[in-house]
Amino acid sequence: SGQTNLRSPEDIQVYAVDKNFTLRWNYTGSDANVTFSAEYQWFTDFQTKVTEWKELPGCQNVTRTECDFSSAITQYYNEHRVRVRAERRGEVSPWSSIFEMVPYFIAQISPPGIELQSTNGVIKVKVSPPEADQVQKMWISDIHFKYNAVIWENSSNAVSRSQSIFPTDVIDDLAPDTTYCLKVQATIPLDLKEGLFSPIQCVKTTRKVNDLLCATNVSVLAVNMKFYLHWRNRYKQHTSYNVQCLTGYLKKLHDDYSVKWFNVPGCENITDTQCDLSPVITATSGFYYIRVQAMSEYNRSCLSNEVKVDPLITNEIGPPGVKLDINDVFLHIQISPPGGPESEVWRDHYDLSYRILYWKNSSNNEEEIKVKEIKQTIGSVSDLTPSTLYCVKVQALSRVYNKSSPYSKEECIETPRDKLLPLIILATFVSALIAVLVLATLLVFALYQAYNKIKYVFFPSCQPPLNIE
Amino acid sequence: MNALALIQVGLILLCTTTISSLQCNHHPLQQRKVIENSLQLLDKMGEKFPQQCLREKMSFRFPKQVLKPRQKETVKVAIEEIFQHIFYIFSKNRTLAAWDGTALEQFQNGLYQQIEQLEACVIKKKTLYFQSKANRLKLKKYFKKIDCFLKDKQHNLCSWEIGRAEMRRCLQLIDKVIRKL
Repeated sequence: SGQTNLRSPEDIQVYAVDKNFTLRWNYTGSDANVTFSAEYQWFTDFQTKVTEWKELPGCQNVTRTECDFSSAITQYYNEHRVRVRAERRGEVSPWSSIFEMVPYFIAQISPPGIELQSTNGVIKVKVSPPEADQVQKMWISDIHFKYNAVIWENSSNAVSRSQSIFPTDVIDDLAPDTTYCLKVQATIPLDLKEGLFSPIQCVKTTRKVNDLLCATNVSVLAVNMKFYLHWRNRYKQHTSYNVQCLTGYLKKLHDDYSVKWFNVPGCENITDTQCDLSPVITATSGFYYIRVQAMSEYNRSCLSNEVKVDPLITNEIGPPGVKLDINDVFLHIQISPPGGPESEVWRDHYDLSYRILYWKNSSNNEEEIKVKEIKQTIGSVSDLTPSTLYCVKVQALSRVYNKSSPYSKEECIETPRDKLLPLIILATFVSALIAVLVLATLLVFALYQAYNKIKYVFFPSCQPPLNIE
Repeated sequence: MNALALIQVGLILLCTTTISSLQCNHHPLQQRKVIENSLQLLDKMGEKFPQQCLREKMSFRFPKQVLKPRQKETVKVAIEEIFQHIFYIFSKNRTLAAWDGTALEQFQNGLYQQIEQLEACVIKKKTLYFQSKANRLKLKKYFKKIDCFLKDKQHNLCSWEIGRAEMRRCLQLIDKVIRKL
């Protein structure tokens, strides 16, 4: 069997979904009685050792221009090479060009399954993962998937919107009594993979029943990592509440997390519309979901909306404390960090720095405010003018989390009087006094001399000399 | 009325861009803190490595080249992928492991928060600083090896302890690298 004028196949392609691999090619020669066979080899270690060319199972003597060779692919992370040739009555064509691929990179994610339920104005979605019933998986685990849902109103010029959903999720902010259509794809973001979309499913939303029993305006207020939940009560009758918490990562798993909600200790069967979440929000990493279950006297209950609490992001930093100390040269600013000594754990996460504002508190209030930013808890200001009232206020900043605390209370301190100046004044005065005294004495002396001279010249004494008598 | 609508749209756009840029601002400090925290919790969740499991120990050979590229961003992404694999491994059938459930939950929760942050960022930005294909595959192979090991041993106590020790080693390696970044 020699190579004659049989053309070799062209445009080799591999189409792969999950671990199903299909080889496709084009054949431009005459198709009469032509069969195709393929060979493959794969690298056992990166670019170093390669197996011999082997027959590709599922692609031997096929008549169509495609074949399924899934059974040959077991090493998903190794580079494989495939080639095809045509055969007819003992003649073989030259081998086609080689197609190189790494199964994991070339495979597409198959569509997930979706189950929709329309209740109370929202759509509940349950996603079943690709490869759900497979033992051997291309995608390792359904945990790696992030689901992307595309929703649009089933009307003529509807705009579709895309949102990320959990395996079990609720789509709200929808119009009531409207038909919406949905399709979902599984993605693996870190591999930049977007899977095939599920078939479209449409469902009509019901009207939203406004149950007054449910707690509304559920919100979290947190200062210095003390978390408080607040909500509003619209029900006139006696209502008791249970505050429930869910550990964040449980929503990522495909297991039913509805049974994993637990009651927050201290907030079970309460009538207050607030709850201290400290028993559950203890860690700094990882977020939680919180909801309020309202119960009426007639054993009717209602669940509020969920609130997501990401500790370091939800938390607000409280103001620091300020103490001032002064000497001739420096104004020392002692900052006590927000939250006190026990807050060191979470303060570390924020990588706090402090912004100091200081100004001269003079009567005309025209002085400019100066700013200084430091990382330590002790700052100092020099270049002070004596006998002036300086005022200081400080705020804590976290550049990592883009947060700032409110300013501390203003603290003011007066700079001491200048000790040198009075001395200078005194010295100047005394020397001036001495100078004046000296000058005065000289002047008096000079005047006296002048007087004597003038008296001698103009008014001599009229006594004749003794020898004339 | 039109001007007001325009202003509103402008404000919304500004807020979205601010929020998305905030989400993508995964400071190295945050990654460091997650690793510190995870190491503490790994220690807390179980006892010292049991002597009887020493004979079953396997060498998995973590691909250290993954943490060596010159670009900071590439290393950060590799670390995120490692977090995801660790998260997956510890979500398997752990009944035979006999660990402190609370510590384990906090461990998972901390890892998951980091993963979510980066994934949201990647989806918005649609870019990723990629390792070479070879490095990415080496990383996947490493974790697949551990996964297969656990499966073969049917997730018994020793296999879990070996897995946990290996993850600890892995995180310590990352800790060293990230302090230098």
